[in-house]
Amino acid sequence: MTQTALITGGSRGLGRAIATFLAGQGYDLIVTARDPQNLAEARNGLRGFSGRVVALAGDVAHGPHRDSLALAAEELGGLDLLVNNASDMGTTPLPPLAEYSLPRLRQVFESNIVAPLALIQKTLPSLARRNGLVVNISSDAALSGYPGWGAYGASKASLDLISTTLARELGEVGVAVVSVDPGDMRTNMHQAAFPNEDISDRPLPEATLPFWGWLLGQSHNAINGKRYQARAETWEMAT
Amino acid sequence: MTAAVTATILKDAQEANSPAEARGLARDEVRLLVTTPSGHEDSRFFELPKILQPGDLLVVNSSKTIAASLPGDGKHGQFILNLSTNFGNGLWLAEPRRDSATPGPLPLRAGDSVRVAGIAVDLVAVHAEIPRLWFVKFNGDALAAADFIGTPIRYGHVAEQFPLDAYQTIFAREPGSAEMPSAARPFFMEVVSALQNAGVELADVVLHTGVSSLEIDDGTDGQPPMYPEPFRVSDHTAWKVNEARRLGRRVSAVGTTVVRALESAWSNGRVTPAHGFTRLFVSPARGVRAVDGLLTGFHERRSTHLAMLNAIGGGTMIRDGYDHAVDGGYLWHEFGDSHLILPPRPN
Repeated sequence: MTQTALITGGSRGLGRAIATFLAGQGYDLIVTARDPQNLAEARNGLRGFSGRVVALAGDVAHGPHRDSLALAAEELGGLDLLVNNASDMGTTPLPPLAEYSLPRLRQVFESNIVAPLALIQKTLPSLARRNGLVVNISSDAALSGYPGWGAYGASKASLDLISTTLARELGEVGVAVVSVDPGDMRTNMHQAAFPNEDISDRPLPEATLPFWGWLLGQSHNAINGKRYQARAETWEMAT
Repeated sequence: MTAAVTATILKDAQEANSPAEARGLARDEVRLLVTTPSGHEDSRFFELPKILQPGDLLVVNSSKTIAASLPGDGKHGQFILNLSTNFGNGLWLAEPRRDSATPGPLPLRAGDSVRVAGIAVDLVAVHAEIPRLWFVKFNGDALAAADFIGTPIRYGHVAEQFPLDAYQTIFAREPGSAEMPSAARPFFMEVVSALQNAGVELADVVLHTGVSSLEIDDGTDGQPPMYPEPFRVSDHTAWKVNEARRLGRRVSAVGTTVVRALESAWSNGRVTPAHGFTRLFVSPARGVRAVDGLLTGFHERRSTHLAMLNAIGGGTMIRDGYDHAVDGGYLWHEFGDSHLILPPRPN
């Protein structure tokens, strides 16, 4: 049976690299991103493979858009993989928390914490039907209080806890959840965080493909609830 | 540091073009260079039980070599596909080549379909950091195809096709290596028995090797691109290694694959049971923690291996040993001679 994946933030950077990797393996794909033009371009690239591609432009922080993504997943017959990749970096250049705009902080939390959980809630029936895997994209900012990264880091730390909690709670319905820190990459998002820095020494997001290949080849029992670094020296299963 | 060693070897080293038994020797009659802080001794592999000490622990790799070289056919004509690493669900990292002696690149694009050993295979994505390697998706059982029609991977320095048995060690149990974990090739049961009688202990790990593509040098003195390899360290082996270390006994790896596996399983001051993929690069800067010594072959060009040797033996001792080996006509590569590197005892 053809496998199906839903990838948020799928028009550029890491999301697009994962989507292209899965398309090459014959997956049916649902991709979403805010910018319709970028998304259309990504969709055209993904259509060079054998699977179906549904591209829906919109903001995952909006409930109605999440409803349409969940509906698309139902229409494709279920969901083997949900990658919550879309993230809001917050204000850039990165201001210290003492000066952080609270409305902007709420937006970051809405996009990076509430939206991924809401999308999991909405797509849970589709995920359960296929014994699916949820991947929440995290960051090393979730672990270490880097100055300037407080808002983004706090949102990712919350998402990590959501991941480990869901991993325990969703066992009954057969859905596994992991958290993945992809590492620094040469992406627009990373450039936004370091506007005046040359980031050409960072690897392209495609450098994480061996990790995704490994992760998707594991039995869910072996990885459920774990947090991985895509650029770590080892990726281990539960022993 | 490693560059100097590499240059010497490129110029003068002699290559083994066939297995010992095709050269009129038993496997355990290959030469053995023993490198210690007090110098370099010429010996033969079957003397190993007299060289090691009671209480020494040898750790071997029980990965079995698969017949990983498969015939392919695509719109650009015939080629071979060397399987490197099994990611599961039909996804493999593999190297398309023109033939065993001629690497690519071939005119391949993501989304292309080819036939390999009669199976439809999709070209998924090129490896971003090692562009001669591709992720490919088999719409069928690649391992069964390898069993049925595959041949062992070989490169230009091996002129003839030898049977898969020539690429197995006596420890081989679990199929998965694209290329023979060759350090243990000279072992016979007689050597193992003699080792056990001499009080040397044995344990095993699994690490499935990927392709080495010997004619291409990706290595630099910095961090080279590393592709991940599947590995497993059992409870029993972790315990044996930790126990040996606790008692101040020497732990020697049989092969660079074993060093990679044990060092990958090192965590919080001890070896822990581990199962997964590793892309660990063991360099002098990182050092080694789980192993003391190394029994291996002679390595060419791939400075990743030489960096590991330097991490174990120190740059000077390894360079002297390699000078000795080149001058003494030791044979390089998977069918070549052996090298035991025993640094000073820890502490």
